[in-house]
Amino acid sequence: MTTTAGDPPFFELRNITKAYPGVLAVDDVTLSIEAGSIVGLVGKNGAGKSTVIKVMAGAIRQDAGQLLLDGEHLDLHHPHQATEARLAFVHQDLYDVADLSVAENVMLGLGFPKKWGAFVDWSELYRRASDEIRRLEVEIDPRVAIGELSVAEQRLVMIARGLAQDARLLVLDEPTASLTDDEIEHLFRAIRRLRDDGITVVYVSHRLEEIFEITDRVVVMRNGSVVADEPTSAIDRRQLISHITGHERAETAIERRRSHNIGGRPDAPVLLEVVDITADTGVHGCTFDLREGEILGIAGLVGTGRTELVRAIFGADRLTGGTIKVRGEEVDIRSPEQAMKAGLALMPEDRKTQGNVMDFSVRQNVTLASLDKHRIRPRLAAPSAASEKAETARMIERLAIATPDDRQLVRLLSGGNQQKVVIGKWLSQGSDILIFDEPTHGVDVDGKDEIYDIMQELADQGKGVIFISSEFSEMVGVCQRILAIRDGRIMGELEGDEINEEAVVELCYTDDGLRATAGTA
Amino acid sequence: MTGTGTRTKERTGSIDWVAMVSRYGVLLALAGCLIFFSSQEDKFRTYDNFQTTLESTAPLLMMALGLTVVLVMGDFDLSVAGMVAVASAVVIATVVRTDIPWGFAILLALLVAVIIGAINGTLVAYVGTPSFITTLASGVMLSGVELAVTGPGTTFISGGTEVPRSYRNLGIGEPFLEIKSPVWIALGLTIVLWLLLSKTEVGRFMYAIGGNPEAARLSGIPVKFLRASGFVVVAVCALSAGIVSSARTGSHVRNVGGSLLLPAFAAAFLGATLSKRGQFNVIGTVIGAIFLQVVESGLTFMGYDQDVKNITKGGILIAAMLLGRLGARKR
Repeated sequence: MTTTAGDPPFFELRNITKAYPGVLAVDDVTLSIEAGSIVGLVGKNGAGKSTVIKVMAGAIRQDAGQLLLDGEHLDLHHPHQATEARLAFVHQDLYDVADLSVAENVMLGLGFPKKWGAFVDWSELYRRASDEIRRLEVEIDPRVAIGELSVAEQRLVMIARGLAQDARLLVLDEPTASLTDDEIEHLFRAIRRLRDDGITVVYVSHRLEEIFEITDRVVVMRNGSVVADEPTSAIDRRQLISHITGHERAETAIERRRSHNIGGRPDAPVLLEVVDITADTGVHGCTFDLREGEILGIAGLVGTGRTELVRAIFGADRLTGGTIKVRGEEVDIRSPEQAMKAGLALMPEDRKTQGNVMDFSVRQNVTLASLDKHRIRPRLAAPSAASEKAETARMIERLAIATPDDRQLVRLLSGGNQQKVVIGKWLSQGSDILIFDEPTHGVDVDGKDEIYDIMQELADQGKGVIFISSEFSEMVGVCQRILAIRDGRIMGELEGDEINEEAVVELCYTDDGLRATAGTA
Repeated sequence: MTGTGTRTKERTGSIDWVAMVSRYGVLLALAGCLIFFSSQEDKFRTYDNFQTTLESTAPLLMMALGLTVVLVMGDFDLSVAGMVAVASAVVIATVVRTDIPWGFAILLALLVAVIIGAINGTLVAYVGTPSFITTLASGVMLSGVELAVTGPGTTFISGGTEVPRSYRNLGIGEPFLEIKSPVWIALGLTIVLWLLLSKTEVGRFMYAIGGNPEAARLSGIPVKFLRASGFVVVAVCALSAGIVSSARTGSHVRNVGGSLLLPAFAAAFLGATLSKRGQFNVIGTVIGAIFLQVVESGLTFMGYDQDVKNITKGGILIAAMLLGRLGARKR
């Protein structure tokens, strides 16, 4: 594992930089990876891990910097070239074809063995696939359709696919997502054996326990940069968490907001009571309440039930159990319509597919949820353009929506302004319980600050606000209370002095027996 | 932070011909056809022909208007032709074979139409079957129903004297204000549906559903109910088309409406190219229907047969789609 002077490292990234419109995803990353080691790559959502991996895989092209393999320049324009260089990538979504056999999936795209020049040599295909699978110390029949296997087995098949490419470098992105403890142990044994065979493994995970268990070295990314790169044995859990969270740019603003919120409002009347609700989408018995004038955070990784929880409350997905009370009265919510009547509003996480009608104007979107307030006459269900125009003008001013006029198509606005249009729609609708699901996603710093102000303003008016975000730092700044959700269950609650980013991370990431379904990197 | 890249500059000063043609192509083509046919055939220029063209447009327009409502919400209804035929068959069969007055016969046909529309709507909106294949299937069933009503082996229910003059007045009555009843009925439907789609909350909701059904649902819009209702509107429009057709001939002809199915869709699609955002709309549908009928009767005047007409009409629709794509690329 040690490198003598002058001997180039196995794989090197030098000054890799990649920008997307409005965001510097990877900022001057330099990293060297030794042969035959297991390197952990950790960081929050959006820290730049995925972008680095995509550059290594040739899926996207870096703006600047270079890759070196065995000290030689590696120019990747296409994923196929990465495969030729014997780099294999196992993504967390299973890219398999469910109806094809295990063997076909293993050998997919690698060229099937041929008989007489044209026909697939099936027995040879099965034999080769079996060999690769056996290297992982499992027995899986290469003839069965991969869709019939368990998720763990499917994942092993995808790793076998990497091995079939005769890989020297194997990148595993969240390989333990939705695996049981036993399955994870098995996977770890397989990974260690591959390392002992001289294969280099890059292991991406949100689960810190696993990083400590399996990796030899850990690399932490934050805001597109590598902020720590150390032997795993030289770092402890607390240090790792502080590297992951770091010091946010808006820290002072967050601190100021934190001090504003420190008190909470324990005496305020309860606005919303959610008791033991369950939904098939992955919500398992959640209970909490929301008080007037409160901003309640729901923290959790993507895909662990936070969005599913609020969608179920809003009637967007079907509730299968539990009760919801608004101001002490039980309400029956089976559709967004009924939720709105009960006084709820949901700003969904995806403004493009769920929030806005993109080919509607700003005005038509802003008034869509409250069109009956803009009638020509109270009993005539025809919208009055003048009334709609006035309301939209109010929202454009209040939310500082940057648009030439209220007839501009929402499609033509920037992402942040599209988000503000969604917020405008629900402010205009006037519900007392407002759920913001990832409202600041893809919004720049100033826009984020404006959105925090709006939530604060609503709370100050005595409304109840639920705030979901993947950026824990902003939740720490804005919320008076934070619930941590994992695997569709509420794992804990932080209030007042207890709220800090480390505590939230601890609640969301720790695996004390329960394995969280980790989110996308 | 990086810049958002270069933005293509708007061309100023010169007229944007591509945008002009893609937006107003149908109107230009309509004007062109009127001038061309008038120059070729003297009889085409007459007031009588103007009247006749409008009258013949009526059933096509009624079907196209109904389709516009479902198309706005992103659905298809291919059963509309079958509904026209069933409506016509039910009314004529009832009047000819029973003593039931034609007013009640129409109510009976209306009941049938609403039930069929509701079944289509329930399947598509509540059960979630694709509208294209669902209405294709129900259209086939409707043609079976029509056969059953007409009777096996017959292709025609002759009205003769059994069909009262008062009913036939719906098709060929004395003109009121120089305009005959089919045109009045079509105009009435046009106004009602124009008000519905352009001026009411429901219309706004329908366009929102067409634009993004999930965003519409999450905004509290009753998406399923409105989508299902669209199919009932189609059925009622088809009923009017069936009544007008049968009143004009005083009889029921097998598969009346069948030859109008594709032109009705074409009218709605031609109309969509006239709107700024490429949306289906009532005014556009009216212009599209008139355009197709002008081409039809112009070619008839010039003595062309169905072969030329069909090729021309199909070509027009493809040309309109191409123009629409050009426009979309500009947008």
